[in-house]
Amino acid sequence: MLELANVTVRFGGLTAVQDISFRMGGDQVVGLVGPNGAGKTTLFNVISGLVRPASGSRVLFAGGDITRLPLHQRARLGLGRSFQIPQPMHELTVRENLIVAQRFGAGRVDPRKIDRILELMDLTDQAERDAANGLALQELKRLEVAKALATEPKLLLLDEVLAGLETVAKRAFMAKLRELHETLGLGILIIEHDIETISSLCHRVAVLDFGQLIADGTPGEVFSNPDVIRSYTGAEPVVENAGVGHA
Amino acid sequence: MNAMRRTAFALLAVLYVAVPAALGSNNYLMGLVVSSLIVAGVAVAWALLGNLGGMVSFGHAAFFGVGGYASALLTMKLGIPVLLAIPLAGLVAVLFSVAMLPALRLSGPYFALAILAYAQIFRILATEMEFLTHGSGGISQIPVLPTIAGFDLSSRTGQFLLLLTLLAAFLAAYDAIRRSHYGIALRAMHDSEDATRVVGVNSVLLKSWMLFVSAFMTGVIGAVNAHVINFLEPDYAFSGIWSVLPIVAAIFGGYRTVTGPAIGAVVIYLVDQLVFKALVSTGHQIILGSVLALMILFAPDGLLPLLRNALRRMRGASHA
Amino acid sequence: MSELVLQALYSGLLVGGVYALIALGLALTFGTMRVINLAHGELVLLAAYMAYMVESRLQLNPVFAVPLAVLVACTCSALVYLLVDRIRKNRELNSLMLTFAIGIVITNAVLLIFSGDVRSTGSPFMQDAVQLGPLFSMKSELGAFIISLVLVFALWQWLSRSWYGRAVRAVSSNRDAAKLMGINPARTELISFIVAGALAACAGVALYSSSVVHPALGHALTVKAFIITVLAGVGSVPGVLAAALLLGVTEAMTVTLWSSALQELVGMTLFLVVLLVLPNGLFGTARRRG
Ligand SMILES: Nc1ncnc2c1ncn2[C@@H]1O[C@H](COP(=O)(O)OP(=O)(O)OP(=O)(O)O)[C@@H](O)[C@H]1O
Ligand SMILES: [Mg+2]
Repeated sequence: MLELANVTVRFGGLTAVQDISFRMGGDQVVGLVGPNGAGKTTLFNVISGLVRPASGSRVLFAGGDITRLPLHQRARLGLGRSFQIPQPMHELTVRENLIVAQRFGAGRVDPRKIDRILELMDLTDQAERDAANGLALQELKRLEVAKALATEPKLLLLDEVLAGLETVAKRAFMAKLRELHETLGLGILIIEHDIETISSLCHRVAVLDFGQLIADGTPGEVFSNPDVIRSYTGAEPVVENAGVGHA
Repeated sequence: MNAMRRTAFALLAVLYVAVPAALGSNNYLMGLVVSSLIVAGVAVAWALLGNLGGMVSFGHAAFFGVGGYASALLTMKLGIPVLLAIPLAGLVAVLFSVAMLPALRLSGPYFALAILAYAQIFRILATEMEFLTHGSGGISQIPVLPTIAGFDLSSRTGQFLLLLTLLAAFLAAYDAIRRSHYGIALRAMHDSEDATRVVGVNSVLLKSWMLFVSAFMTGVIGAVNAHVINFLEPDYAFSGIWSVLPIVAAIFGGYRTVTGPAIGAVVIYLVDQLVFKALVSTGHQIILGSVLALMILFAPDGLLPLLRNALRRMRGASHA
Repeated sequence: MSELVLQALYSGLLVGGVYALIALGLALTFGTMRVINLAHGELVLLAAYMAYMVESRLQLNPVFAVPLAVLVACTCSALVYLLVDRIRKNRELNSLMLTFAIGIVITNAVLLIFSGDVRSTGSPFMQDAVQLGPLFSMKSELGAFIISLVLVFALWQWLSRSWYGRAVRAVSSNRDAAKLMGINPARTELISFIVAGALAACAGVALYSSSVVHPALGHALTVKAFIITVLAGVGSVPGVLAAALLLGVTEAMTVTLWSSALQELVGMTLFLVVLLVLPNGLFGTARRRG
């Protein structure tokens, strides 16, 4: 479904992502972890088309090369993403956000389906509010997921949507993601700092450190890998704070 | 909303009848009203690009001039009937706007000034291509508007009715685009372009369409103007005034509203011609400049929203 | 033929020097405040008319108008800053329209006060020819060129050496960080505008002494200054000088080899090509180094 081949991203002198090759199926839920600044969000930006990778990098999706495809065409192919710092569409209500995503991402308008997404993401009461100014942070994060769902994606890229939630809310959210995965057959690639969350949600975990892929396997394998423990658990307290800091 | 639309229709019907009835006998005043509608047409086209497309242009004179020349040449060299040449001239303006597509990638101020450069280039080309345009000597004896079913469109009243109809059509089209899904997506693009593109909106394509629609409207108005005044020269057809007046008018009326720019244009133009020009004959643009500066400083959203808010407040007070 | 070309090259260079002076003010305020002052050419125009006034009323050489021109242009420039600074909403575009409006006001004020006639210096001293090998110019053209170069060089040194120069660079790269470093961004910006006014004043007097002026010139000068700024890429004084000389020479060559009607066309086309093809300007690397 998604394949990255030798993806490298440079910002001036900084190499944010270095020669990453990675592939995942549409039936998987994969966790992407790594300390702050590891390059996780940058990798999402490459996949969704916001950042151009260095020459030689290749991104394949749904059987085609999308490395040079513009943003909007990737969305239409079935790539949905959320932003770590929520980016609602300004000057629009929550419902209008979903209408635009559906109309242009999925190519059709189905008001009932929008109602269902609103309900699923607990945004029914907020539907007519101004998305940019009328929502709390957690509502904004749910809107991020709702927008992505409205485009009827095949693969969902979620950037720290679970961060900052308390245990009960987090469990409920995870249950919804699992349900989406099972009922719609949706592939999910999710960035998340909390090891416990990742372990219970994902079949598979990939670890980024300083832009490099240092481990890739089942949660059990990965979190017992000494390299990962060194780079990751050492940074964990900082990471936890950062997660809240984003909130 | 429906009530508002009904009011708009009623108002239009009243204008159709009342203005010719009241001013029809006064050729001078009627001429001013016709000119004000020409400015209003360009102001609406400018505001459509500014409000929906998020692009402020300093060079709408480019489309105005191209439309005027195109219609004059189509009728005079090819013998195409005037009423057919006018929409074709709009399409020619669209064709010229294709040359501006690369400028869509530029950010706001750069786009504004790039379009200004295009307008200058078009003006120079119109001056230099003498075989086609007669250069700076200009084209005279451009055909007048025709008589349709016994009704003389070239009379002041005829010109007025044609322009009012065009203006109403522009406003209806503008409003329809604004309400459509394209309009909603365009609105979203103002402050959140990445977020809008990432859900599948082809922002470049939508902006291009707004540029085309705006160019078409401006070209059509430029064409009508050519057949109203029957004379064109480059310095007039591509004059900066066709860029400046619509900006002042749209900002004055409120460029984020649909009707504001049209109302603003009529008010500004008539006041300018009847009052300012009487006060200071040369350099009366100093007042236009001052109006623009004051609006940007004190009421950047325009007078129409300001009046609407004041009205709402008054109503609120009377209810209390 | 080659003599003509050589002469065009020379005249173009001389004009380019004055262009540099004009463009530098625009580039300076653009660099510090990210505001394109579309009234900048009109400040130059105002200064030129001060020179005309001093010459015609007081029968003095236009050079003596410099203090008055500086006073007027600096005051207007500071006023432009204060007004632009009031804009809160959508600053980038609203400031553009505001300064555009101010430009219209100034142009028409000049038109009202001095009429639309074309003016130029009557001083025979200024109009005397000087010969440099096979090349001819008026004394005033050569003088304006030299003074322009001196001022451009002085400004460059000042920007790269002085504390203020560093403040300008700090404010233009990151306003908030500059604040933390103890720089007052508002004051820095105001100073930029005043300096830009002074440059415009000198340019205006130079222009009046070496060429002809009329009210509509202001807008044309703004456009030229903006073209040069775009060609240069933001933030490099030598880049501005080079771009200005390039524009001056290109225009002069066009007039000589082609037609005077196309002079403007070449500048505009150059502008569009650079804008659309080279987002960093012609001297983008110089910018990074400077
Ligand atoms: N547009 C950009 N320009 C320059 N540098 C960037 C840009 N985007 C990211 N970076 C840098 O690239 C590196 C990777 O950033 P990225 O946001 O991908 O990290 P991350 O793994 O998502 O971290 P976090 O856990 O904090 O979200 C960081 O050093 C960051 O500063
Ligand atoms: Mg991140």
